Amino acid sequence: MTVGDLRIEAVSRRFDVDGRALLALDSVSLEAPAGSFIALIGPSGCGKSTLLRMLAGLDQPSEGTIRIGGLSPRTLQQRGALGIAFQDASLLPWRSVEANVRFPFDVIGRMSEADRRRVQEMIELVGLGGFEQALPGQLSGGMRQRVAIARALVSEPQLLLLDEPFGALDQILRRSMNRELQKLWLKRPVTTVMVTHSVDEAIFLADKVVVMTGRPGRIGRVIDVPFERERPLSLLNSAECRQLEAEILQLMFDHENDDA
Amino acid sequence: MRDRRQRTTIAIGWLALLLLWEVAGRLHWVADGALPSPSGVLRQLVEDWGDYPPHIWATVRTSLIGFLVGNAVAVLCGFLMASWRPVGRLLSGINVTLFAMPPIALTPILVIAFDGDAPRIVLAALATYYPTMVATVLGLTRIDSRLLDVVRLYGGGRWAALRWVRLRHALPTLLAGLRVAAPNAVLGSLLAEFGSGSGAGLGHYLIGSLGRGDPERLWGIGLVATAISALFYVAILLVARCWVGAQAPAQESLGSQGDAARGAGTQWLITLVAVVLPLLAWWAAVWGLEQAGVSSFVLRTPADLAAELFSSTRPESLASIIGGALLETLPWCLAGMALGLGFALLLAILGTLSPVLERVLMPLSLLSQSMPLVALTPLIVLIFGRDGATILAITISVTFFPAYVTLAQGMALVPEATQDCVRVLGGSRLKQVRLVSLPWSLPYLCAAARLVAPRAFLGVMIAEWLATGTGIGNLLNVARGSLDYGLVWAVVVAAVLVSVLLYLMVTVIEQRVLKRFAMTPVQ
Repeated sequence: MTVGDLRIEAVSRRFDVDGRALLALDSVSLEAPAGSFIALIGPSGCGKSTLLRMLAGLDQPSEGTIRIGGLSPRTLQQRGALGIAFQDASLLPWRSVEANVRFPFDVIGRMSEADRRRVQEMIELVGLGGFEQALPGQLSGGMRQRVAIARALVSEPQLLLLDEPFGALDQILRRSMNRELQKLWLKRPVTTVMVTHSVDEAIFLADKVVVMTGRPGRIGRVIDVPFERERPLSLLNSAECRQLEAEILQLMFDHENDDA
Repeated sequence: MRDRRQRTTIAIGWLALLLLWEVAGRLHWVADGALPSPSGVLRQLVEDWGDYPPHIWATVRTSLIGFLVGNAVAVLCGFLMASWRPVGRLLSGINVTLFAMPPIALTPILVIAFDGDAPRIVLAALATYYPTMVATVLGLTRIDSRLLDVVRLYGGGRWAALRWVRLRHALPTLLAGLRVAAPNAVLGSLLAEFGSGSGAGLGHYLIGSLGRGDPERLWGIGLVATAISALFYVAILLVARCWVGAQAPAQESLGSQGDAARGAGTQWLITLVAVVLPLLAWWAAVWGLEQAGVSSFVLRTPADLAAELFSSTRPESLASIIGGALLETLPWCLAGMALGLGFALLLAILGTLSPVLERVLMPLSLLSQSMPLVALTPLIVLIFGRDGATILAITISVTFFPAYVTLAQGMALVPEATQDCVRVLGGSRLKQVRLVSLPWSLPYLCAAARLVAPRAFLGVMIAEWLATGTGIGNLLNVARGSLDYGLVWAVVVAAVLVSVLLYLMVTVIEQRVLKRFAMTPVQ
């Protein structure tokens, strides 16, 4: 086992809804080497967000264990070794771009000279140099999302979590953000788990696409994406990519119909 | 360009209104000169200016101290409620009482129990408490839960969440609450002077001048009181602008925070304590006053009062005196409230049909939020005389503005797309209102009713006290003069209780109605 190995072992999660137990995740297992990019895809209510929250240590499994490099998510929290970005940025509206990117260090309670440089570097990397003092309210949706990505990466996390990071953006902007994210990620390939609704986004970014099925949430199939990096956007128009996309969609569709 | 033209139209509208007022005043159109001309009011104000400073100072001083004390308590309670949910449930009885309580009802007891500035400060503080408390709780709890997730993700606990997110997030909402609380403090201070003999203070000055029937002076005092109130309001607005900039007050929370599941037994216990706590607070207050040297002759605990209520040592039992007075008061209260709400609804509808009307009315209504409107009722007495018309006029005037603001906001929130559904089918504006706007703003109508119910009761009581000499308002005034302390306490408690019940009744109706249409109440 190499450091940074992601191991999800027989994880189940039950919720108590009006006194009845609702099974949101049923014995989910998944393994991935360090530095892999995993996309979770599936219908609403398939438990992909629940799984992401448990990876973040924001929720605990009812059964099973989650280990990242042999450590629990809670331990990673304490070490400041996690990073997360949400769909609509979730920035602190009263903090400037610079202060938002710095936020993880404020909570962790450290701010070395290297950290300070890292904040500036991240802002430059996501292309927001010159906007350090702007408030989130003064930025466009795409720019806000860049701030969120910078914030998620600034503490050099061991595990990066993305919850539909570009879900609120239009198709064009989403694609160019996908390309930028890939560039950032290739500079330092951190183990990443991304929840998404978009099949082509999953194929473009991920090494493994995990197709989940609902009620209760299970892993339907894990598909290895064969394309070399760095992937160009034109990849999305290739026949192989179209083929893979159709396959994944078919998987999701079949299950929906079984269900109905 | 169009914007400027509209602004000119509105300015002309305001100017025309002022001109009409001037003419009406000069020619004594209204109630034989009870409505003086603006220029006459200003002239009188300049003439009397020498008398004003001590009154202004007394009002500003007492309302400011009360404002500070009340807010300190409110922020502390709000903080506890936000940090530990059961506290909110336990304090709900006290909170509802403080919201629904007509401030003037406490005046007689405060005047008996305290000297000097204290009654005014206490009433100002009590009037301040509710809006600030609510704002504190909302600001600290209605947070996009993902902001808190980010803190937890980096290993931050409750303290880090408070320090980095909750406190700063609460600030704009808190300041908005303080803005509502500020005019309330001035109102509390003024109302405490209504029943406390003579002295310095604009409330005293107003009551003292009422007998002389000098409309110009009464209007001048009203103007000054409003100016103080508006000054408070604007000061906080400016602080908010500088401090929190363009950040909007708390948005609706995304993840709902469901109540932790508890046994039915615990629920009942919490409710019981919530109901008993206000009584305990009363008991504690009486005990505290006794310790402070106030004669127990003038004080009554809940037990004392319960015994006295049906005691046969009086020619007429307290219960029957108060019952009779309430029977006189309540019909007026309900009628005034219905008329105020109806009037507000009508104008809100007209406002959606004619945007210009709304642009003229809305600033006026918002302005009225900074006015100690209830305290200005002597002016209405002057215009409408001393009969039922005055009661109605006062009750409508204190209920109309807040109801209108709530309703107009609700109608402005009707989604364009829903209105378009009527438009594309060729429906008229009127049809849009009937089929979409009206049903859509039902929760806002309910919220408006809930908001104005206690105000209507307060309005009727003040009208009865100052003008008609009937009902529970009059009893409040008479009892104090007759030194019948048992009666004073009974009237005060009855007034508070009725107001709370009125509020709860509207709340229950609201829940029933909204549940039927699967709608949620507006905060």
